[in-house]
Amino acid sequence: MIDITVKNLSKKFGDFTALKDLNMTFPAGTVTCLLGPSGCGKTTLMRIIAGLEVPTTGEVYFGNDQVNRLSTRQRNIGMVFQYPVVYRGINVRQNIELPLTEDKTLSKAERDKRVDEVLDILEMRHAADADISELDNGTRQKVACAREVARRPRIILFDEPITNVDINSKLQLKRALKELFTRLKQTIVYVTHDQTEAMTLADQIALMNEGVIAQMSKPRELYDKPNDAFAGFFLGNPGMNFYEGIAVNGGKVTCPLFPMPIELAAAHAGERSVTLGIRPEHVRIVGAQTALAVPAKVTSRAVVVGGQYLVTLKVGDTESAFSIAAKAKTRAGADHVTVGSDVWVEFPIERVRVFGQSETQPQV
Amino acid sequence: MSIVDLRNLSKSYGRKTVLRDINLSVQPGEFMVVFGLPVSGKSVLVRLITGLEKPDAGQIVLRGVDMTRAAPGDRNLGYVPQSFALYPHFSVYDNIAYPLAIARAPRDETREAVQSAARLLKIEQFLDRRPDQLSGGQKQRVAIARGLVKKSEIFVLDDPLVGLDFKLRERLIEDLKATQEQLKVTFIYTTSEAVEATQLASTLAMLDHGEIVEIGPPEELYARPARAETMRNVGFPQANFISGKLAQRDGGYWLSTPLFESALQQSANARVPLDQAVALPISVGVRPEHVVLGAAPANGANGAFEFEAKVLLREDLGGEEIVYLEAGGQQLATVLRSDDEQALDIHIDQTVTAHIHPERAVVYADGKYVGRAG
Repeated sequence: MIDITVKNLSKKFGDFTALKDLNMTFPAGTVTCLLGPSGCGKTTLMRIIAGLEVPTTGEVYFGNDQVNRLSTRQRNIGMVFQYPVVYRGINVRQNIELPLTEDKTLSKAERDKRVDEVLDILEMRHAADADISELDNGTRQKVACAREVARRPRIILFDEPITNVDINSKLQLKRALKELFTRLKQTIVYVTHDQTEAMTLADQIALMNEGVIAQMSKPRELYDKPNDAFAGFFLGNPGMNFYEGIAVNGGKVTCPLFPMPIELAAAHAGERSVTLGIRPEHVRIVGAQTALAVPAKVTSRAVVVGGQYLVTLKVGDTESAFSIAAKAKTRAGADHVTVGSDVWVEFPIERVRVFGQSETQPQV
Repeated sequence: MSIVDLRNLSKSYGRKTVLRDINLSVQPGEFMVVFGLPVSGKSVLVRLITGLEKPDAGQIVLRGVDMTRAAPGDRNLGYVPQSFALYPHFSVYDNIAYPLAIARAPRDETREAVQSAARLLKIEQFLDRRPDQLSGGQKQRVAIARGLVKKSEIFVLDDPLVGLDFKLRERLIEDLKATQEQLKVTFIYTTSEAVEATQLASTLAMLDHGEIVEIGPPEELYARPARAETMRNVGFPQANFISGKLAQRDGGYWLSTPLFESALQQSANARVPLDQAVALPISVGVRPEHVVLGAAPANGANGAFEFEAKVLLREDLGGEEIVYLEAGGQQLATVLRSDDEQALDIHIDQTVTAHIHPERAVVYADGKYVGRAG
């Protein structure tokens, strides 16, 4: 187990800056997901760690060793790609064992022990003698993962390993990865654009945007407490509701989301204006007026994940152009929230994130 | 009166029937989503409507006029194809204006139409740029704008968001819905994504293996699917299906599955009567939100089906969590809200108790609705 550190890392391709002065550590024995939209730099960062790409400036360390000048092979890393890399003509056990035979210090007994360990974790003992060509591509990808894991390299890099697997194999592959990651505690860098995959598999997520790390946090913390508007926008389906340019007066904000002025935390009390964000599932539609509720009108409703309704609301003075829009996610079966109806809505203060005035709603 | 009327349309390639006896009436102002899995025939249907291909049988009636044999250019339809190509040497403006240039529209009219389409798709500030100066999402917006620039009341969009980033799709779903409402036009739109379909559609047509098996408002199809394929595919995560057996017993009918057993009554809405259903393959659909974790409340004769299950995986969507279970040799998915306290203390490989209310277990014979277990 070894950690990975990058220092002042930049990468340019011609005029295009893919990575901008990154400084970060991937903790030893944990899974760090590099998550972000296409073009954010996540794949470039992974390729630099792998030694497949040379940084324009900056250093890469495995533990205390600076590895910039080492080739991919010398770095002793494992890699799993989008498409499973397996050896045809030999069975599952032989596939996993093959790289171990290169290490002459390993006895046959030790090799078998390592292979059996991963086969057990993957519940694949029964398939050990199966020929690779008989397996579906999800199972092949499991074998490819098992091989890299059993080899115990210093670090293992995963480049969107689930993306191209058949839909029916995705669940078993995710389960296999989760088991391998939890049980074996290796240092793993996992690249994905899929927020669910990252939230499910990562110990920490490094959310990337335009060549920088927007935030690095534990998955739930990233989701619940985004530090900037981009994290609030990128995670969640749909992402946060944003309210920009809310004026701050005497440390308080007055806006149609609340029936009374709301006091800001000290960190934001001095700003001229702020951006507020709240996740749709935290907007509460309540039956009757409460101390925290504001009036709203339901303008649309659609059934989304797990039978919940995604509802759009006109909040505040619902008959005028001054009302503001909000999306809310009700629980499954909230059939009383009908289009055109007048409702009361709470924006619970503890769920509202306050961003600085420079933070505006991200665009795509 | 319907603005688009498809009557008994069929299309085959060689021996392979791709579309079978399609009947679809689209009303003015409707957002009609033709929803189906890949290779269900969606794209072929679009090609028939736009006139890129001719049907083997049936009629295509547009605005009350039979246009089955009319050339594409005579149908006056706006069209957004699935894979788009922008002219790299044209500006964004000229790309959008292209269909009007071909139709030799007056310059003023063109300018107005291009600007209005660009405004709807939020690309006004890019009109002078060339496509290679745009992001993938902006290019897609240009392609959609080009499809919408035509002065028509009918637009056909063939899965325009397929393959786009998740976040981009989220935004475009909102913008497309708003665009259709503001233009007050008719959209015929295909997709294979359930949540995209339910968010966009005013009416949803379920296309399965070349046949439209069910049409209705999306919430209605979600709540009361008459076909197993509709229940399985309209909704995310997909509905669970458990195989079952139906038998006559003590003068009534008895349903048994690996997870529960129950008497079954004849339902008024059944597509297959019970006496015929016994001879057909039986499957029981349960939506993920109706697989409830925890012990069943004890409430007498019509109590919930309770069973033990092993937790296979927790998948965190952010706002929700999908928990995959294994019970009685069946794999089941359930959904929790992340703010449910229950969500906190479930771990992989743990054994949990779960239950299903009988009225949430929907019984199908050969894919057709028979009744509910309660």
